[in-house]
Amino acid sequence: MNIFESLKSALRNLMSNKMRSFLTMLGIIIGIASVIMITSIGAGSRAAITSEFDKLGVGLLTIQMKGSNDAKLRDFLTLDDVELIKKHPEVKNVTPYFEAWGASIKLKNPKEEKSGYIIGINEEYRFMVPPDLLYGRFIIESDCKAKSKVVVIDEVLAEKVFGRKDVVGETITVRLWRGNLKFTVIGVTKNSNAALESIMGAEMPSALYMPIQTVMDIYLVDYLDYIYVSVKDPEKIDQTAIELNKMLEMKHRNEDAYYIRSLMDEIEMINQVLGYITAFISFVAGISLFVGGIGVMNIMLVTVTERTREIGIRKSLGAKNKDIRKQFLIEAVILTVIGGIIGIIAGFLGGSLVGMLMDVTPKVSLFSILVTVGVSSLVGIIAGVYPANKAAKLDPIEALRYE
Amino acid sequence: MIKVESLNKIYENGRIQVAALKNINLTVSQGEFVAIMGASGSGKSTLMNILGCLDRANSGKYFLEQVDVSSLNDDELAKIRNLKIGFVFQAFNLLPKLTALENVELPMIYAGAKHKERREKALAALDKVGLSDRVLHLPNELSGGQKQRVAIARALVNSPSILLADEPTGNLDSKSSEEIMGIFQKLNDEGVTIVMVTHEPEIAHHTKRIVTFKDGEIITDKFVDNPIRVGGDAL
Ligand SMILES: Nc1ncnc2c1ncn2[C@@H]1O[C@H](COP(=O)(O)OP(=O)(O)O)[C@@H](O)[C@H]1O
Ligand SMILES: [Mg+2]
Repeated sequence: MNIFESLKSALRNLMSNKMRSFLTMLGIIIGIASVIMITSIGAGSRAAITSEFDKLGVGLLTIQMKGSNDAKLRDFLTLDDVELIKKHPEVKNVTPYFEAWGASIKLKNPKEEKSGYIIGINEEYRFMVPPDLLYGRFIIESDCKAKSKVVVIDEVLAEKVFGRKDVVGETITVRLWRGNLKFTVIGVTKNSNAALESIMGAEMPSALYMPIQTVMDIYLVDYLDYIYVSVKDPEKIDQTAIELNKMLEMKHRNEDAYYIRSLMDEIEMINQVLGYITAFISFVAGISLFVGGIGVMNIMLVTVTERTREIGIRKSLGAKNKDIRKQFLIEAVILTVIGGIIGIIAGFLGGSLVGMLMDVTPKVSLFSILVTVGVSSLVGIIAGVYPANKAAKLDPIEALRYE
Repeated sequence: MIKVESLNKIYENGRIQVAALKNINLTVSQGEFVAIMGASGSGKSTLMNILGCLDRANSGKYFLEQVDVSSLNDDELAKIRNLKIGFVFQAFNLLPKLTALENVELPMIYAGAKHKERREKALAALDKVGLSDRVLHLPNELSGGQKQRVAIARALVNSPSILLADEPTGNLDSKSSEEIMGIFQKLNDEGVTIVMVTHEPEIAHHTKRIVTFKDGEIITDKFVDNPIRVGGDAL
């Protein structure tokens, strides 16, 4: 009996009992659909995150002191370190970064305030993370040198304080730990919190960008939270990071005191976490596939019993054991493969729907389709082998006598 | 053609042993038409199943066209059932979801015949049993006699060496039985060897030789002097 005849006969049998075949497939359909849905959403969000990071550029390093218990004062990062790092030939731009929370900005009605935080950076920051300027300019070298009381705010804050956006040259009052201070607005950017606010559904604190020297004077500190470095050749970023670390360790005469991470590391970390989540949910979906496989096996056993007489007749007409085995195995595989194909389509549709709600474009790769079809045929073979063998081993006389 | 030597078949059900066949010796030559008679339980079906390679004897030898069948494995027996033996059952044993034509094609599918060849041979076989006008009917759309004729066409379609029929008229009325016997006689006239079980003397007298069983043993083996010819003309 050739394969084409076997397929035809198997399809015919399954079609003659459509409802049962469909219900049997359902377990496989649900299992495959959830795997496809989850992996496509997972791949889609990974791609979205990666492209988000790509905008910031891949050649960015973050240097931070390890905040261990035995950290010493001499380990802290300072503006001298920024100057030192500038000397490395692979370094394009460097900026110190100091962040201070707890600032309150006086609004139009001086009794009202909006919370904010101060970010101290230097003139090179604007080349590394280009600001979306609407009006005016960003922090430049002379601001830093002169320790000017200048600030760059975003349009939301401008609107709150002045009722308009073009507020370059105006003065804002910020209440800090040492009292109210006045700053001159030199630039207005687009709303920097737009993405976050749409997700959180609440107003986020406003960022106030100021020259690092100004901020250090206000807070009476001389250490930094981070140093951001952009490199000339992203290919050599790992080597550059190692060299910068050595320079810092030499200067501070310490060891293993700093984290130096590239954005690539962060992307990898996020991808890894996403990968774990995807794998875990896929594992759960895999269990439903397993249960679906047991359903197929169960129905195949029922089918073999129901068709004992047919098996006897076929054997009396010359069917070999392997012909009978093939017949039932093919039926099981057709059940799971068709279930798998319906599952792929359902998973793709479900993924598109969820993707629309999450604003992610789901990605179904050819690879995942091939794997899914492979897995569902494998489930069919595993679920079909035992019933098919049982059918093949039936004694022709016993089978013919079966009522 | 068929030669059986000291064949024994014992059924064991727990502690009870039934000797269904005791030391059976039987030879059937090419072109014979043999009826096997005997009371219910005398071992007729047991013998037919062994002759049809559906079952194995406990001891003794069975030669089919000089081949010692008792030494063959499952696959080889399946091949013999497929090509050398045509089996007709009392209960017809058609597959209910297949049309008459598809039922007749089945043995050729297992023989590996091509689609076109199968169609042609199956249609020819159905024509031979007078069912050309029912080829696309399902078994439950056919009368008992018609079903049995489909079964005969199916048994013949691979041109077997021998046609075995276990009470082929057992479920049929006398008119249909007569028709079936007519078909058997016609086939036998064309050279087909037939061994048939029946407990009706009237039916048995349509054959050329009657072997009678009792308690698993052959008690008589006689040629029929004047077989009844369907259509009236006795030989
Ligand atoms: N599968 C079986 N198990 C046990 N005993 C059986 C089986 N098949 C037949 N027999 C016994 O063997 C004897 C012969 O049966 P069978 O060949 O069917 O008789 P017949 O066809 O002549 O009526 C009977 O006594 C019957 O009960
Ligand atoms: Mg019987």
